[in-house]
Amino acid sequence: MIEFAGVSKAFESKPVLSAFNLKIDQGERVVLQGPSGCGKTTILRLIAGFLAPDQGSILIRGKIAASNARICIEPEKRGLGYVFQDLALWPHMTVFENIEFPLKAQSVSAAERRQRVAEMLGRVDLDGLGDSYPTRLSGGQQQRVALARALINRPTVILMDEPLSNLDEELQAALTDQILRLHTEFAFTLVYVTHSKEEKRRLATRSILLRGGGAVED
Amino acid sequence: MGRLLNVKRFTLGASAGLLALIGLLPLSVMVAYSFIADGSIGVRHYVDTLGRTRAWTLFLNSIALATFSTIVALAIGVPVAVLIAKTKMPFRRLITVCFSVPILIPPYVLATGWFEILGRDGLVSRFTSPSVGEMTSSWLFSLPGAVLVLSTAFLPVILLLSLASLRGVNPTLEDAARLFCGWPLVLKRITIPLALPGIWLSLVLVFLLAMGEFGAPSYLRLSVFPVESFTQFSAFYNAGAATAASIPMLLVVAIGLLAGSRLLREGTHYFRWAGSQVTPHHISLGRFAPLTSALVLIAALVLIVAPCAALIWRGFSGTAMNSALLQATDSIAWSLLYAGIAASGVALLGFFLAYASQRRSFAKWLWIDGLTLFLFAIPGTVIGIAAIVTWNHPLTGWLYASPAILILGFAAQYIAIGTHGIAAGLAQFSPSLEEAAEIAGAGWFRRVATILTPLSKTAITAAWLLTFIFCLRDSSLSLLLSPPGRETLTARTMTLMANGSPDVIAALCLISMLLPVIPLAIFGIAVRIVRKRA
Repeated sequence: MIEFAGVSKAFESKPVLSAFNLKIDQGERVVLQGPSGCGKTTILRLIAGFLAPDQGSILIRGKIAASNARICIEPEKRGLGYVFQDLALWPHMTVFENIEFPLKAQSVSAAERRQRVAEMLGRVDLDGLGDSYPTRLSGGQQQRVALARALINRPTVILMDEPLSNLDEELQAALTDQILRLHTEFAFTLVYVTHSKEEKRRLATRSILLRGGGAVED
Repeated sequence: MGRLLNVKRFTLGASAGLLALIGLLPLSVMVAYSFIADGSIGVRHYVDTLGRTRAWTLFLNSIALATFSTIVALAIGVPVAVLIAKTKMPFRRLITVCFSVPILIPPYVLATGWFEILGRDGLVSRFTSPSVGEMTSSWLFSLPGAVLVLSTAFLPVILLLSLASLRGVNPTLEDAARLFCGWPLVLKRITIPLALPGIWLSLVLVFLLAMGEFGAPSYLRLSVFPVESFTQFSAFYNAGAATAASIPMLLVVAIGLLAGSRLLREGTHYFRWAGSQVTPHHISLGRFAPLTSALVLIAALVLIVAPCAALIWRGFSGTAMNSALLQATDSIAWSLLYAGIAASGVALLGFFLAYASQRRSFAKWLWIDGLTLFLFAIPGTVIGIAAIVTWNHPLTGWLYASPAILILGFAAQYIAIGTHGIAAGLAQFSPSLEEAAEIAGAGWFRRVATILTPLSKTAITAAWLLTFIFCLRDSSLSLLLSPPGRETLTARTMTLMANGSPDVIAALCLISMLLPVIPLAIFGIAVRIVRKRA
C-alpha cells in the first residue's frame, strides 16, 4: 500500500530520515512513536506529498509518488485523508462546508454532496451542528469535524498527526473508539502519530518506534 | 507601591491628555468653528459651502479619484502580492523593493515625474510630436492622470498589507485543502478568503489616503475637496468655509474606519500560525516563472521606475542640483530637523499610548486606538486647518508663530504609526517579564528603561523611521503650517513650482526622493554593524 524505499530527508542540512525503509499494508493501523524531531510528522508529510524526499522513493499503491527530490503525484491525486495536529479546520467555513469541500473539489453534484455530508455528520455524532463555525465547537466536536472531513471522500489511507493530544483522557478514549468503529466501517489504512501509550495500545495493529533518523523497531 | 502605581498612571494619563490636546482639541475647535458665522451660531458656512453644486462636484471628484485609484492599486497590488508570497517567481525581492519605493516619495513628486514623461514638453512629446504631447498632457492633467499617480503612490500600502495578510495565513489550512484540489482552488477558496480582512483594510486605507491627498491633485489641477479646503483657507482666508468643507471628509473617514475596524475584528481569528514545523509552500510556476517575473518587472519599470528616471534625467545635472541646493539647503535642514523632532515625539508618546492600549491600562483604551487611526486617515489639510484655528489665538500665538505648530501637526497626523507599531512590538513578549521586574522592586520608569524599551527597541526604531519618512513626504501640513522663512523642502518645492525652472524643480524633487534614503541607509549600516558584532 505505502512503501518508503531508502528515503532520506534533511532540513537545513540536519538529517531527519536517513535511508529509511518502511512498508505498510492495506488495512493496517500503524502507530508511529518516538522522541520529538525524530521524523514522525515528516513521514506523514512525505506520504501526503507536502514534502519530497531528498533521496529514495515513496510508493503508494505500487506507483512512485515521489522520488529523489521530485513529487510525481500531487497531494490531491493521492486519495488520502489527513487529520492535522491543529486540526486545520477552515475558520471561514461552517462545519457543513468544511466537510463538503473535498466533494466540491471532486465536482460531486450538490444533491449528492448534501446527502453524503448529512450522513457523515450523523456518523460522527455532529447532527444539528452543520451550520456552526468550527471556532464555536468544543475540542472533541472539532476533532470529529476533522475526522469527518478526512473520511468524506472515502480515502484508502488516513494519516493522523497527534490528533487527540489536546483532549482529556475520557474524550481521548471515546474518540479512539470512534476511530476504531470508522476503521471497521471504511476499512482504511491508518498511519497514526502519537506520544500516548494508551492510544497506541488501543489503536495499533503494528507500532513503529523511530530513533536517530531511521532506526525502526516493530 | 502605591506611589509607583501613581507615577505610571500619571504618565499614561498625561500621554492620553497630550494626544487629546494635539489631536482631539483642534478637531473639536474646528467643528465648533464651522458653526460660527459673524459671531453667532448657525449653519451658514455649511449652506454657503455645501449648498452649491460645485461642492457636490468636488465631492464626486474626490470619491471618483479615491475609488479608481483604489481599484487600480488593487488590480496591481494583490496579484503581485500573491506572486511574491505564494510562488518562487525570480527577483521577488527586487520586485518587492521596486513596488514599495513610492512609500518614500511624496505623491506630488511622482506627479512631477509623470509630467516629465507625459507633459506638453515631456519625453513622449519629444520622441513623437507636439500634438501627441498635448494629448498626453491633457490626459495627465485630468482624473485618469491623477488616478495613475495616486494608484502608484499608494500601491505599497496594498502590496505590503496584502503580503503580510497572505503570509499570515496558517500554511496547514492550505495543506488541508491541497489534499483535495490544486493550487488555483486552494487560493480561491482558502488563502484569499483568509487573507481578505487584511486586503480589505488596505483598500479602506488607500481609499481614505487617496481621498485626502492634497499634493498630487493640486499639482495636476484636479478639483477635489482637500484642494478646495486649502484654497478657501489660504487664498481667500475663509476659515469658516474651509472648516465646513472639511467636515464631509471627516464623516467619510469615520465611516471608512468603522468599516475597516469591523473587517479586521471579524478576521483576526484567521491569523494563527501553525507552529515552527510547518513552512509555507510555494506554487510552482514551472516554465512560466521567467515570463511572469519579466511581466511584473516591466510593470514596475513602467509605473515606478519610469517617473523616477524621468526626474533624474531632467534634474540630475550639476547646474540644476547646484541651483536647487542654493535655494533649498536651509529647507532641507529644516525638513530633517522637524521630521526628526516629530518622529522622536511620536516614538515617545506612541510608546506610552501603545503600552496603555496593549496592556488595557484604561477602560477606554479602544478610544485611543480609534482616535490615532482617525487622525492618520483624515486629510492633512483638515489637521492643518484645525491646528491654525485652534492655536492662532493671543494666548498661544507663540506656538502658532513657531515651527512647533508644524511639529504638533506631524505628531497628531502620524501618532498612529507610533502607537500601532510599538503596540505590535510590545505584544511580542509576555507581560510577566515586566511583572518579574516589578516584583523584584523595580519602579515604573526603571521597568520602562531596563525591560520594556530594550525588548521593543526594534518596533520603536521602526516607528521612528516610518514617522520620519512620512513627515518628510508630507505636503499639506508642510504647506499650511511651515513658518515663513523656515519652510520644509516640500513647501519650498511646491511654492517654486508656480514659476521655477523645470530643471530646478526636478532637482528639488530628486532631493525630496533621496532625503528619506539617508535615515534608511544609516539604519541599514547600523543593523549590519550590530549583526557583525553579535
